[in-house]
Amino acid sequence: MSTVLNTEDVRNLRTGAHFLTCTIDPTAIYIYAEMIQRAMEGRSLELITVDELAPDDLVVAVGMVTQGLFIADMPPVGDEFLGCIRAIEASLGRSVRAIYSLAAANINGIVPLMVGLQSSLPVIDADPMGRVFPLISQTTLNIGNVAIGPIALMGVTGERAVVEVESAQRAETLVRAIVTELGGWAATAMYPCSAQQLMEHGVHGSISRMIRIGQILNASTTVERKLLLLAEFLDSTRIARARVSHIESLSRPTDLGLPAQPSSVTLEDETTGRIVRLEIQNEILLVLVDGAVTAAVPDMVTLLNSEQGTVVNIDDVQVGDVMDIVKITAAAQWYTEAGLDLTDPKAFGIPILHPRRRHA
Amino acid sequence: MRVGLRLEGTSCRTVVLDGLTVVSAGQEVHAGSLPEALESSLSGLRREFGSGITEITVDVGRVLGERKLADVVAIRISPRPPADAFHMTVLPPLVEPAVTRTVHVAGGHDLRGRPLAPLDLEGFLADLPGILSRDVRNVAVTSVGSTASSDHETRIADAILGNDRDIRISISSDFYSSVFRDRDYTAILNSALMQTGEDLAVMLEAAGRRQFPAALLSFAKNDGGRAPLSRLALAPVHGLRAEPAMGILGAATLAGIPEGEVILCTEAGAMVGHIHGGLPVARSLIRQGFDASLASNAAILEPYTAHHPVRADFPSVIADLRDSKDVALPFGLVPTLSAAQDAALVGSAAAPLTAWIDRLETVSGRVDLKRVQNLAEDDAHSAAVQLGATPGQTDIIESNVYAMPYGNPGIVRIRVQAAGETFADEEHVLPTAARGATQ
Repeated sequence: MSTVLNTEDVRNLRTGAHFLTCTIDPTAIYIYAEMIQRAMEGRSLELITVDELAPDDLVVAVGMVTQGLFIADMPPVGDEFLGCIRAIEASLGRSVRAIYSLAAANINGIVPLMVGLQSSLPVIDADPMGRVFPLISQTTLNIGNVAIGPIALMGVTGERAVVEVESAQRAETLVRAIVTELGGWAATAMYPCSAQQLMEHGVHGSISRMIRIGQILNASTTVERKLLLLAEFLDSTRIARARVSHIESLSRPTDLGLPAQPSSVTLEDETTGRIVRLEIQNEILLVLVDGAVTAAVPDMVTLLNSEQGTVVNIDDVQVGDVMDIVKITAAAQWYTEAGLDLTDPKAFGIPILHPRRRHA
Repeated sequence: MRVGLRLEGTSCRTVVLDGLTVVSAGQEVHAGSLPEALESSLSGLRREFGSGITEITVDVGRVLGERKLADVVAIRISPRPPADAFHMTVLPPLVEPAVTRTVHVAGGHDLRGRPLAPLDLEGFLADLPGILSRDVRNVAVTSVGSTASSDHETRIADAILGNDRDIRISISSDFYSSVFRDRDYTAILNSALMQTGEDLAVMLEAAGRRQFPAALLSFAKNDGGRAPLSRLALAPVHGLRAEPAMGILGAATLAGIPEGEVILCTEAGAMVGHIHGGLPVARSLIRQGFDASLASNAAILEPYTAHHPVRADFPSVIADLRDSKDVALPFGLVPTLSAAQDAALVGSAAAPLTAWIDRLETVSGRVDLKRVQNLAEDDAHSAAVQLGATPGQTDIIESNVYAMPYGNPGIVRIRVQAAGETFADEEHVLPTAARGATQ
């Protein structure tokens, strides 16, 4: 069922996209939300479910791929995504009927709204991650053998590339090299597929989920009430309320193919005395409580300010801060063997089995 | 003895500290003009304390905040200009009217410091007479990627100064933020305040020379430190909102705690900050909701709430700064300082010289990381000494490395704060041993 989004939805989506980002700096989300709210004046934005399209309609994922300068340090000019969609259409000789998010969190959770306003294409309430992962190969579409290519990329310099590639892993290498040379990020259009393929292999309801999360977190209520509502809606659990005692950067060796350096945060649960350790690389990958794995990627882990119930940015974490550590179960596809192969801790260089593998 | 002095409107308020002791509390002078109030205030101190006054630190935050911003031309350097109105950089409402013209110049760098586009210096020089023709005195220059390379910003600034030596220019690479709009906003606001900063520095210098020719004059910064008065004309933005930082430092000084929690209670409510190594714990940005943030290291002061964790093992000071104390403090808080009314002025008087290094480095591993971090600590130490601190009394307060999410492999951000005292300060306000602790 299609929905016309309003500026209040965008405000809530902004919060939801930040919550599911597992605490990356949200500035780029703020900037996009502001742009979208201004662009909505006099224009409508349609959010549709994938079943509203004809099965063979061409749909494409739009999203930023980053490796280098932050999006917020090199703001988009504004023509990049339209250039990518045109390149995909030229490459395939077909018109794109609708767009969807490359990832349902962080900046890519909100970017499709701007692209929808600019292109007048409807935005599908679905994505191929159900969260955000750092690699473009880490998608449920890849698990379903949906081709990632052709991929169109355009950077702030106005330079554009179309990569004709079949393997998602190979695409990762090629795209990341191009993105680096484009300055640090590129607008991309990838995973062009039929509406039927997206219906079968995508994660559905992701945009509306972010809006609902935002409604909960933006409400004037207590932190405990927010946690309760989130638990009901997302089946999330609070792992601990703990105080930061140590922060360490470059805390683990890393594969240079993965963006960003690993870091770790150690906290102490002052009620129980338990020691909580967060292993971070772009997102929070692992939570150990007294040495035991309590959450591991693809589980989502996010941090909330224990006093205000607002999302904590990793950049702002200081020794002494008290926060709630919240675990959210990811989309079901990620807990299959193929899903865990792509995204469990080993995929991030951490030699630990996901608990679901051990219990399988 | 050290003086903490606050300017506001046409009045001055002072506190005098002798070591840890307040020897003159909260004297306020009102006059027909700010220079008159300053003259009267300083002459009164000279009569009372003579040459015993060795340092004066002035909180100019309120004056900076109340003066009209000067007009600024904003020069933005990026590979291409925005394609539509929605993708234009949006400034906070306070600053937006000060920008009389925006100029785009092709250029910018990536995170590795490599040019994204050649700097269109030729095109800029051709347009420069027209840009400067409308009585422009203040310019802000912001380039994409200037955290990695300031080359394009400095070349544009040099080109302007080559045309007119008297233009006041603020470049964004002087302020650390990984967000273009934060640096752009900060450079614009700094540029718009430079005239006021210059006027205040001249006024304070002249009055100080007349009354206390041997005293060192500084201005209070929003990180809880101070900088020589000459810096006020160049970086006035760091003097904005210094009062909260000085409140934290002052309350901690009065309580004698170099490490712990400081709760400040005013008519507006209770706020909480922390003191570490004898200085307020600071963040590199002053956030303003969803608007651009001010890229200035500033003390963190956040609302105290009912959920605030109470730690028995953690020193805490509660300062009641309210004018009227008829009503009990919220949350059952009980003041631990009996006379804290002038805490912010005590903080100004006690503030050490502080310097920051905040930059990106490329590292190949942990050993290399340690090397660049040590280098940054040496540079921060040197920067504090250049401000006037004595090498033997200068310590590293904070030294942190931050991973760059989704950044180039091997590039990290290093942030170091150094603080020091001058030869004049034989007695530290907070214990020396506490300084030098890194986190």
